Amino acid sequence: MILKLLKTIFLVDLVKGLWVTLKYTPQPAFTFQYPAERRPTAPRFRGVLRLQTEPGTGAQTCIVCDQCAKACPDDLIALGGHREPGQKIKVLDYFDFNLSRCSFCGLCAEVCPTKPIKALIMSEDYELGSYNRDTQILRVDQMYDGVPIEQYTH
Amino acid sequence: MGLIDHKFEDNFITTSIDRVLNWARESSIWPMGFGLACCAIEMMAASASRYDIARFGAEVFRASPRQSDLMIVAGTVTKKMAPVLRRLYDQMPEPKWVISMGSCSNAGGPFPTYSVLQGVDKVVPVDVYVSGCPPRPEALLYGLMRLQDKIRKEGTVLRRERVIMANTSEPVLVGDALSRGGRS
Repeated sequence: MILKLLKTIFLVDLVKGLWVTLKYTPQPAFTFQYPAERRPTAPRFRGVLRLQTEPGTGAQTCIVCDQCAKACPDDLIALGGHREPGQKIKVLDYFDFNLSRCSFCGLCAEVCPTKPIKALIMSEDYELGSYNRDTQILRVDQMYDGVPIEQYTH
Repeated sequence: MGLIDHKFEDNFITTSIDRVLNWARESSIWPMGFGLACCAIEMMAASASRYDIARFGAEVFRASPRQSDLMIVAGTVTKKMAPVLRRLYDQMPEPKWVISMGSCSNAGGPFPTYSVLQGVDKVVPVDVYVSGCPPRPEALLYGLMRLQDKIRKEGTVLRRERVIMANTSEPVLVGDALSRGGRS
């Protein structure tokens, strides 16, 4: 009883709570300053689809085998190409990818058979914000270069 | 601002009313969290201390539509939920914006079924679509920044056009039309 009264008078619980606050005060801020710094993604992170070219030459690696389009559970990929005389692989004409419905399952990148460089990969880009539905269909140039990221201008 | 800039003595700032109001609007967007599915978890993560949506002035998640400016539709919108969503949108005071977060609310996601609304833009006018399944908290912040860019370009008095894609069909891929004769 006396002890409780003394505790109340000397504000022991309040001091305890403030001590916790004080202990956390010198620690650096936990917040991640997103537009200024980008957090590295996990190695298994699956971002938006990306077509790869051969590193040195920039030649096309996609062989237009249509496996990714068949593997996609939602029919979001459509690609096509034509044969050119003298060239071994088909030339990629169009590669349309409907981003709006994509659930980033990675089945398309998994079945891509080209070696040693996979033509279709899940990249690390996740900054995807668009103003209308039509821009969410990525055409072949966006599939190679990625969706442009606008900078924060505030 | 233009001709009268630097014409007065120091400590005078000249600006236009549009700019001031848009600045006020863009830097205090109070969202109404419309968390419907797993995207709501990422929305909560964005509002927590790691990503801290408060840095953009959008930390006050209101439970009431009357006090909010922005509706973040995060998750699968079923057809049973759609009238509720529209009613809550109508109850929000002007000016109001909508962010559609995630594949499900963008276009129905992996549920092309009878019970799921194929895109929340069929019932409310969407300003920014954030893609991802679910989008990372950074992606939501990126969408919020795109919305701030959009607000900055708006007029104060003139209402912006609001498009509800009620009767439009899903954009058809070129290859679909060529090779398989369209989506079934």
